[in-house]
Amino acid sequence: MKKAICYINQFFAGIGGEDKADHAPEIREGVVGGSMAINAALQGIEVTHTVICGDNFMGSHREDAIQQICGMLEGKEFDLFFAGPAFRAGRYGVACGEISKVVQERFDVPAFSSMNDENPGAEMFRKDMVIFEGGKSAAAMRTDAQKMAAYASRVIAGEAVGSAEEEGYFGRGKRHMIYDESLKPAADRAVEMLIAKLGAQPFTTELPIPKTDFVPIAKPIKDLSKATIAIINTGGIVPVDNPDRIQSASATRWGRYDISKMDRLKGGEFKTIHAGFDPMMADGNPNVILPLDVLREMEKEGKIGKIHEYFYSTVGTGTTQKEAARMAQEMIPPIQEANVDGVLLVST
Amino acid sequence: MPVVQLANLVPVAKTTGTNRIVPGFAIPYPLGNPEMTEEQQHQMRRHRIEVCLDALTTPIEEQTVFKVKI
Amino acid sequence: MKLELGHFHVKEVTFGESTRFEDGVLTINKEEALAVVREDEHITDADLVIARPGEEKRIVPVKEAVEPRCRVNSKHNNYFPGVTGTELYQVGDGRSHALKGCSVMGVGKHWGSFGDGLVDMSGKGAEYSYFSQITNICLVADTDEEFERHEQQKKNHAIRWATHRLAEYLGNCVKGLEPEEIETYDLPPITKRDSSVNDLPSVVYVIQTMTQMEEEGYNDLAYGWDLNKSIPTLMHPNEVLDGSLIGGSFMPTSSKWATYDYQNCPTIKSLAAQHGKTLNFLGVITSNLNVALIQKERSALYVAQIAKTLGADGAILAEQGYGNPDADFTACYVALEDAGVKTVGITNECTGRDGRSQSLVSMDPKSDAIVSCGNVSELIELPAMKEVIGELEALGRDGLSGGWAGDEILGPSVREDGSIIMENNAMFCGDQVIGWAQKTVREF
Repeated sequence: MKKAICYINQFFAGIGGEDKADHAPEIREGVVGGSMAINAALQGIEVTHTVICGDNFMGSHREDAIQQICGMLEGKEFDLFFAGPAFRAGRYGVACGEISKVVQERFDVPAFSSMNDENPGAEMFRKDMVIFEGGKSAAAMRTDAQKMAAYASRVIAGEAVGSAEEEGYFGRGKRHMIYDESLKPAADRAVEMLIAKLGAQPFTTELPIPKTDFVPIAKPIKDLSKATIAIINTGGIVPVDNPDRIQSASATRWGRYDISKMDRLKGGEFKTIHAGFDPMMADGNPNVILPLDVLREMEKEGKIGKIHEYFYSTVGTGTTQKEAARMAQEMIPPIQEANVDGVLLVST
Repeated sequence: MPVVQLANLVPVAKTTGTNRIVPGFAIPYPLGNPEMTEEQQHQMRRHRIEVCLDALTTPIEEQTVFKVKI
Repeated sequence: MKLELGHFHVKEVTFGESTRFEDGVLTINKEEALAVVREDEHITDADLVIARPGEEKRIVPVKEAVEPRCRVNSKHNNYFPGVTGTELYQVGDGRSHALKGCSVMGVGKHWGSFGDGLVDMSGKGAEYSYFSQITNICLVADTDEEFERHEQQKKNHAIRWATHRLAEYLGNCVKGLEPEEIETYDLPPITKRDSSVNDLPSVVYVIQTMTQMEEEGYNDLAYGWDLNKSIPTLMHPNEVLDGSLIGGSFMPTSSKWATYDYQNCPTIKSLAAQHGKTLNFLGVITSNLNVALIQKERSALYVAQIAKTLGADGAILAEQGYGNPDADFTACYVALEDAGVKTVGITNECTGRDGRSQSLVSMDPKSDAIVSCGNVSELIELPAMKEVIGELEALGRDGLSGGWAGDEILGPSVREDGSIIMENNAMFCGDQVIGWAQKTVREF
């Protein structure tokens, strides 16, 4: 039998309403109030403990509440964590998300919750955990508890589970490939979608277009002739022996190479290891990707103050945003320490 | 710290949310062109890098693609 | 044009004294077949191995797959004009015979390259490639192409061309036989169609062929012409089905379309099936995926112009590839929509191993109808197979797009016990954007 711990608020523990919302965290053995419905719907899992915390306590003393609850969970054996269902109760929903996120990370167990789509907690925490779409009020208690308990039971048993939409939880922004032999071939799906689109009938795209992320705009450099410029490239320019073993595609590694004593990059000393394009030109003259030659001229002419003594390199092809963001985070400290004022990023 | 991205695939740079963008010539050689002499390529490279540096010193209000001549 | 494709359903493939097709059994005279392979002196070693669906066999590095075909009642003997033989002529009109349910598969005896892939004939791995469902006559060969032996990008010319010759050789054994069934593709000239057809919404099928390499020898070919050096053009669907297009050797393989895929293009078949019923199928616009933005924009402009000139109401746009080709896909999609052509796209995605990366590197809200066929970076872990055709080491050693020699967390792609871990990227023609895909991408 696997073990689950539930989190509920003061109201669903039967302690009281708004007047008891400052209730400090406590843990009780077994089921209490709202966690009964979950326990009843679980398969091969039992609820061993229930954590209770007042919504205002969590809201106003977040750090303290989380610390206290984690202290209570320390040393307890459990395989999964439930919070809620929180319906449309906003503070409760946010509290469920806050505590679940921490418990997932610290105790390495999956967390499950349920909220109404108008509960702000759903949007805030959907990327971090499985939150089922629930009813508006406690009238939906049994159905909502049933949905997340049944799903969690299947996950813990290692059974196959469907997509967010099929299962009824808010998508976590994780897009994965599925094979389904009952799925029509792509050709037929496309032709049907086209016939629907031509006939102004409804259709559902399989790849919804997300909104663009914007980066805050940085202030410009005031005086270029005093500025230090760093060069980064995603075209895979490396010394010919590729000392950092940067991958030719789907890169997870990057390197930086000293150019302080060079006027230009020479073919034969540097090359590209990028697998996504014809390397012929860049191997012959790496400056077509990493323009040290012209930058050095400008440095000598006094147009720019200084070229940062290293250039930074990785490969962009097939490299995921997550890896790219991590590599950028790793490149930033040495660039900042060298008092660099601006970055030239060349991508291929 | 301002960043200028020199990229041939301007639509990709735009999608990623880069603010200062300068077009590169082609994917495998953003600052070269096999059809040009070495000297012409050098001129083109120098011109595009000058545009990049100008971009770093230019105040902008929104995502901007800076124009290149060669 | 009217194309009659005579089908001969291959239920078993064996070796024997003469190459013939009888009662569903294709018998191959191995010596004779290998002599055809060795017509190219660059082939230094060659063997034929059969891989049937359900067998515990793993094939890698796979470079090409071709359906055995021949022409009937034609004065031309070369099936792939511009590629095999010397005669260049128009295809798509007349009769061709095909050995169905099998492919000739070009496999490296040792060496793989970026665009090569893997096929499992059974188990979980068989869910990822169309070629797991058919019998593959594997030409396992080595060559003396020393200039590219240790290059990550290989033209694989000798093996790929031998695959085409061998497919022609095998196809010829049903030249004089009566097919079990005949599929007819009869699409009259656009201005000569019945009004009942003309009144239906008219559509084009746009294919973005693989043309990423500047140097010749890697890209998709039309009648032997490198499509990198072309602007989008109109083709009759029958030409695509009848040997005018040849798959290339560059693209991460799950995104790739082999010659077999063009010969059997399911999207053309699906559109042809609707022709005269719900749609008026105008034709195929062949576009490309070049590497400079201006080339991408020019191609999008031409595709939209051809669709508009033809008066297309709708389009299906299929992208071969991911990464920078996404910019071609989105540019073309937007150009078509801006021209008033209602468009549906077919593509795969690169959402990362954790599924959280942006699906395409370039996107636009106008591409509102997309069929998704896979995630190139999905991690796939598979147990060992009893037999490996080719060389398993190639997956990790030779820079195949979905394999690696070592990884800090995942270890090597190829493990000592013969089990493997790889990205979907290295599944041979795995994402089947050409139209087979019974796969999609969903949010979890």
